Amino acid sequence: MSELSFDVVSHAELASVSGVLDSGSHVLLGSERDGTSSVVMLAAGLVKPYSGRILLAGQAPFSSASARRTIGSLCSQEQLPSARHAAGALQLALQARGEARSALSVLDAAGLTHLATRRLSDLSERETRALALALALSHPKPTRLAMYEPLALVGIVQERFLLDTLARCAARGAIVLSTASRAEDALRMGGEVHALERGIWLDSPANRTPHYQVTLRVQTDNSAQLAACLAGAEEVIALTQVGSSELLIHGAELERIASSVVARARAASVRIGALREDTAALEPLAAARAGVAHAFADARPK
Amino acid sequence: MNDVRVGAQLAFTRLRSVSSAVVLAIFAPAVFAAAVLERRSDAAAAPDDVLFGIAFGIALPVLAYLVSERVCDGKRLERSVDSVARYGADRRRAVLGLLLASALATALGGAFLVLVAVLGAHTPGAASLAFDLRSSVGIALVSGFAYALYFGAASLLGKRGGGRKWALIADFAFGTGASAFAALWPRSHVKNLLGGTPALDLPQASAWLALIAIGIACLGASFVWTTE
Repeated sequence: MSELSFDVVSHAELASVSGVLDSGSHVLLGSERDGTSSVVMLAAGLVKPYSGRILLAGQAPFSSASARRTIGSLCSQEQLPSARHAAGALQLALQARGEARSALSVLDAAGLTHLATRRLSDLSERETRALALALALSHPKPTRLAMYEPLALVGIVQERFLLDTLARCAARGAIVLSTASRAEDALRMGGEVHALERGIWLDSPANRTPHYQVTLRVQTDNSAQLAACLAGAEEVIALTQVGSSELLIHGAELERIASSVVARARAASVRIGALREDTAALEPLAAARAGVAHAFADARPK
Repeated sequence: MNDVRVGAQLAFTRLRSVSSAVVLAIFAPAVFAAAVLERRSDAAAAPDDVLFGIAFGIALPVLAYLVSERVCDGKRLERSVDSVARYGADRRRAVLGLLLASALATALGGAFLVLVAVLGAHTPGAASLAFDLRSSVGIALVSGFAYALYFGAASLLGKRGGGRKWALIADFAFGTGASAFAALWPRSHVKNLLGGTPALDLPQASAWLALIAIGIACLGASFVWTTE
């Protein structure tokens, strides 16, 4: 079984991304500014990461031609091999992939035959991406498909053809990684939803500890005793002790946490110096966003 | 072998453009006009002056530079084959194909320009015309091959292959002397083949080998310093 691993990868917007993707369908929720375009380019072996490494079944795709040959990719901005016409560019790409079939058969399958004789310079950016998509989806036996916003090409390419092909590849054991900037698109593509927020990759919510909606920062003369008092409180999800005089209390509702803390501290004669809401860090916010996508995924009709 | 063919095909496709035709359409008449003017001012010395100056001194290196710039698509050599490498072509082999195609195009283009220069510098029916044509075209083919590979290897340097430009300047600046350092640049050996002062007092026959050696060394460096 193939496996795509990111090992502390930093590149452009991406900050120390680590994770492993198994075969099947994965959707990365986020915008180009969050780094989705960079993830696709790195996963496809088009660029070398500034630091860290990316391995596909143990091989770095950037420096392994045999690994790249098994990858189908669609980037945010596409450039086809130099040729006079679109069909010529696709023919050269097929030749580089070691395939003998004609470019017209690839275009025909994707419903893009009308672009065959167009000059590359006359194609719009969207049409060029559609041709690259047709090439990627035509791969006879891909181990990985890395797609940047494939649903943005619906209109030029049939949605049914696109989704069916992605599903078929995932079912055959390929790692299908697509990006979507809208949660609705992530739902349409299905699979495991991940999120990318300003370069920080968040794992699938199913594999992650629950995120906190609010955090109360409490200054006290005995944080250990207060933590012990709050251990059984149902409104408290988690506790983080910061030294001996400070406690971070995570939960869903700020007022309920505060009432509980005051009541339990009074009962145990623990003195409270200050209570204030802790500003949410970036990661929990991004996790919340991923959680929203996950909720959508759970809610969709089976 | 497939990847070498893909690289060569990529190079030929890039060279088959309007800008390539425009370059030849400007260079050939300019070289011919310069040769004719030279002949009118001094008919006896014109063939040598034209070959040393405009043909091999300027036109051929500049043509090789432009061909290299075009086949590399204005990029660093390694990145110039990205468009096929992403589909699985081995970058090293594709670069090999690209450079060999570039060498062939430069050799033929250079030979054409030298042919035009010799025809312009000689009076019609001159006794030495046939000999000059034969030897000059031979030198142009070998030096075109060497220059193309030299600029190809230089394209490994710089973010966008800016090493090409520096290689052109270095060849102009350092290749004219007779020192051991001058022997590193193709110009010194081309000059030797044309009958000029040789670098390191090398015999003329070894200048052929030196040009071929420079070409092969540059091809090897390009292959080794490119990622698979």
